[in-house]
Amino acid sequence: MNSLWVLLWWVVILVLGYWVYASHVAKRVFEVDPNRATPAKMYMDGVDFMPTNKNVLFGFQLNSIAGAAPIIGPIVALQWGWVPALLWLGLGVFFIGWVQDFSSAMVSIRNDGDTFGALGYKLISPRARKILLTFVYFYLLLIACAFGHVITKGISHNAALPFPLLVVIAVAFLVGHMIYKAKTNIIVTTILAIALIFFSIWLGTVWNIKLSYNLVLICVLIFGYFSSILPVWRFIQPYNYSSVYVVYFGIIAGVIGILIGHKPMTLPAFTAWGTKIGPLWPLLFVTIACGAISGWHSLVSSTATSRQIENELDVRPVAGGAMFAEFTISIIAVIVCATAFADKAEYVKNLKNPVGIFVGGLGGAITSIGLPVSYAKALAGMMIIILALTIVNLVFRFMKVATAELLGDAIGIAKNPHLATIVALIITWVLVKTGTWLYVWVLFGGANQLMAGFALLLVTLYLVQKAKPYNYAMYPMFFMYVTTVCALFYTSFFKLIPAAMAGKKVFGNLFAAAVAILLIILALILAYDGWKAFKRLKSGEAGEPAEAAKAEA
Amino acid sequence: MAKKKNEKKKKSGGIVGFLRDFTYGMATHGMARHALKTRSSMEHLFILITMGDMLGIPILPPYYSLRLLPHVVPQITTWKRRMLREKDFVESMY
Repeated sequence: MNSLWVLLWWVVILVLGYWVYASHVAKRVFEVDPNRATPAKMYMDGVDFMPTNKNVLFGFQLNSIAGAAPIIGPIVALQWGWVPALLWLGLGVFFIGWVQDFSSAMVSIRNDGDTFGALGYKLISPRARKILLTFVYFYLLLIACAFGHVITKGISHNAALPFPLLVVIAVAFLVGHMIYKAKTNIIVTTILAIALIFFSIWLGTVWNIKLSYNLVLICVLIFGYFSSILPVWRFIQPYNYSSVYVVYFGIIAGVIGILIGHKPMTLPAFTAWGTKIGPLWPLLFVTIACGAISGWHSLVSSTATSRQIENELDVRPVAGGAMFAEFTISIIAVIVCATAFADKAEYVKNLKNPVGIFVGGLGGAITSIGLPVSYAKALAGMMIIILALTIVNLVFRFMKVATAELLGDAIGIAKNPHLATIVALIITWVLVKTGTWLYVWVLFGGANQLMAGFALLLVTLYLVQKAKPYNYAMYPMFFMYVTTVCALFYTSFFKLIPAAMAGKKVFGNLFAAAVAILLIILALILAYDGWKAFKRLKSGEAGEPAEAAKAEA
Repeated sequence: MAKKKNEKKKKSGGIVGFLRDFTYGMATHGMARHALKTRSSMEHLFILITMGDMLGIPILPPYYSLRLLPHVVPQITTWKRRMLREKDFVESMY
């Protein structure tokens, strides 16, 4: 089948999802009101609460939610075939993905811009905040491990990438210095940065540097350490700023390449109900997280975006629109990878290195616009590694804060940023070195989707409290909760523990299984508290949980 | 009708305006927010230095704090909002 037919599915989901279903929910369920004052207007403090143009916020939201996961998830899930992947992407974003992003922002807006911690405390139970924090810490750890491996494998298998990546890092420091210290014009700085990066990609294709897996892993962890410790303006921000143009160019060139090349889908449409990582349900639904539905988005929507929304009418284009844009990125990933290989065997051979699959796919599409193969492949490799490094950049920083928040009161030294970062780096190193990547990826997807389940639980409780129709959030919440808990349970008890018992990567597999079991326990506690809160709110007690009222008294 | 349409188009800036705002949002809005956060933490320090004079307790030599006071007063309302607001761990993310 020609790959252009896949775009028809994309159009159907986009039109029906965004313009019909989302519009209906915004009007009928949340009753968005352009005249209602948003927290950005009511509590404007010039920093966190600030009314912002919807187009700017759309770009900000998309940049904050879209990393490498909407690309890597579909690549891994192609082992079930591209039809199940496309079906889940489309139906997931239609019924659950945008619902979560949009509703999280709306619930936060209607609660004075409260974040999930505060909302969990108010709507579920006082311990919900602590549970959420513990959950987020291990969720971040799984992100660090999953992406740490992707980056390391990608760089160590592609000798064209180390040189331009070193240049990108050097350019980040240069851009930071030029903007903030030397006060150089931003346009001059940007042109210089873009020229240096794109030239270095070409130089990388002629000047190959082969690095070992272990060396690259250590370099990635050192990168994570400096991202966590250095001031944001010195490294993270200029890195994100200067590298975003590579991603821009890669996506635009890829889309044009798909349209020009319109190659046939060469991978099988459907392979089998069960694959190496497990059965289609529940595993496919956690393997593809971002692109269909992702809990990470709810954190962004309820923390940063909800406090900058100028008008309630903007929430659908900003939060919902960004989710559909990310869905588009996943569709591109499916097309380029399902058209890149001659047969399934070649694809499966490369499965341990998803970056390699993407490089072959997107690189092939970019050559359709006339770029040389070596340059196109290096550009595609740079794009995905940059996206993954952007996530690593943030994750260790957040883990440092979460450590201080979790343990800071009990153990004073946990507040030390260097120590907290080094502990996070060591745990990551251990899990990357000793774990099985495919299972770690599944656990990351499970944790991410479970986070979405929490978000939908909060939305459901809010709608119950306000006596509004809540089914559109409750059914997706049940689906996400059951699917993710089953996926975590299956992976830990049917894959990780048996593998460890058979003497295969004993420590890593047992450690990953322990993390999965911990996440399941936390999810069940929160589900129990959520059920009690549901009954309380349904019976008309609109106030805070009894424990919270007692604690405040 | 046509006038209204033109006004709407002018307000949103059309496709070029969208692309400009979108690119700014993707690339720079986060940086601008962080710059504002840095400034606000400086402001906290600044206000705490002059707090004594606002309360009538001379901590710094009055000459300096009285010179600083006019710069501080316009910020007091937003400063109070920021200081008194309950903060959550997820706020450190974005």
